[in-house]
Amino acid sequence: MQSIIEKNNDFIFLLFKEMEKDNLGYIYRGRFTQEITDNILLLSESKLEKEEQSSKTKKRVYSILVECLQNITRHQDDTGDESHESLGYFVLQKKSDKYYITTGNLIDKNNIDYIEKLIAKVNSLEKEELKAYYKEILEEGHFSQKGGAGLGLIDMAKKSGSKLQYYFRDISDAFSYFYLHTVPTLEEGQDKSLNPQHSLESIVNIHLKLNDNNVLLVFNGLLNQEGLMGILSSLEGQMMGSATLKKKVYYVVVEMLQNIVKHGLNPTQELNANPGIFILAEKDDQYHILTGNFINTSHVNELKTKLDTVNDMSNDQLDQLFNKSLFDFENDNSKKAGLGIIDLKIKSNNQLSYFIHPVNNEYSFFSMECIIHFQ
Amino acid sequence: MDKYFISESEDTPRIEFDPENKLFEISGRSLPENAIGFYESVLIWLDNYSKAPLEMTVMNFKLEYFNTSSAKQIAKILLLLEKMAEKGQRVIINWFYHKEDTDMYASGNRFSKLISLNFSFIEL
Repeated sequence: MQSIIEKNNDFIFLLFKEMEKDNLGYIYRGRFTQEITDNILLLSESKLEKEEQSSKTKKRVYSILVECLQNITRHQDDTGDESHESLGYFVLQKKSDKYYITTGNLIDKNNIDYIEKLIAKVNSLEKEELKAYYKEILEEGHFSQKGGAGLGLIDMAKKSGSKLQYYFRDISDAFSYFYLHTVPTLEEGQDKSLNPQHSLESIVNIHLKLNDNNVLLVFNGLLNQEGLMGILSSLEGQMMGSATLKKKVYYVVVEMLQNIVKHGLNPTQELNANPGIFILAEKDDQYHILTGNFINTSHVNELKTKLDTVNDMSNDQLDQLFNKSLFDFENDNSKKAGLGIIDLKIKSNNQLSYFIHPVNNEYSFFSMECIIHFQ
Repeated sequence: MDKYFISESEDTPRIEFDPENKLFEISGRSLPENAIGFYESVLIWLDNYSKAPLEMTVMNFKLEYFNTSSAKQIAKILLLLEKMAEKGQRVIINWFYHKEDTDMYASGNRFSKLISLNFSFIEL
């Protein structure tokens, strides 16, 4: 029942800050089914299509993503562990023309030794040697009984052209959580040295925070209408539950994201889009939909009044206000709550939690949460 | 009168107003960033049509989804049709919805209570 914001006021702002620091763009945490894998690929593809000029780079990054996602899908069922640690983890980020890809999955501790040795071996080989080694392993067929764990790793290193980084997080006597991190070499002559372990550490820390709140999906970045449409199509494929529930979540997500697109603020004013974060979590048979964005500090009181008013209303009062607002075509800049906020309250049938974190005199960070019960 | 046609996009509906074939239909998804801008030409066309309409106008709403800013524009369309009816023209609204989409049914139901027009609810 409890809202994530009420439990931890600054959850979204801190996550936003931490993700911004490392340019983290997209995180998925959950079961990796074929449908979800396809969806992540589709989304990444459209992201690449928009942002990447070189078709060689697009192809390269895409093929590595396919390999990474297959690795998670292949190994997630190994353990039979039902805890939340059994969920897979996928992170995509882009920093100054480089892509950072991280995957995570639970593994049996008995495999750690094998994996560490394999990564050490793979990282010691040059491009041509790696190809030869791949062929050798393939022909000999003595890769792991786990269905080609070894081969997958070698293939990833081959496609990535960079060293693989990894980290094992201790879970229990029997299991560890295995993170694999790589930054594909996209141009010949690019610096191939190991990336600072720091970036993987930060990804592990974020994972722990997401685990605590059972977050399934995070998008962070500049939001415009186009980005919103991308999030929506990805959401459609990744949600569980009845058609009615999915539709309800869809309604709420559209209104919350369009609020950012229309009323958000871009402190740098560089691009025609607003920085924002979108989070979908699942807890106690409820979906928690959270957003965060910058707003003008001068608008804070007005916004608070709107939300408090709507939160204090009975269903009948809300209904009447909705009808009034629906036919109020001059309402756009008034101090009254807009149709969007009223609709969020009606659709979710829950209090809208929010928190405002002052950043400086000019702007503040506004986070908001909408809860939808499974029915 | 010339027909009005816009094909469907990712975030805007398909709209076909064709008096010659007695077809008036809005279908698909409506969640544009700027709903006022998108519906402006639709409302201008309808306003012109309302000056010399058919004996009977049947408007089909076959929407899968619309955001709140589109809801206001749909309200404007319905108000225009309501005015036509007040002048003695026959206007019927067919509101289509999927059985599991209770929110879409509720939206139509809300409009039917606020606008004096004949609404039929049709399950898809």
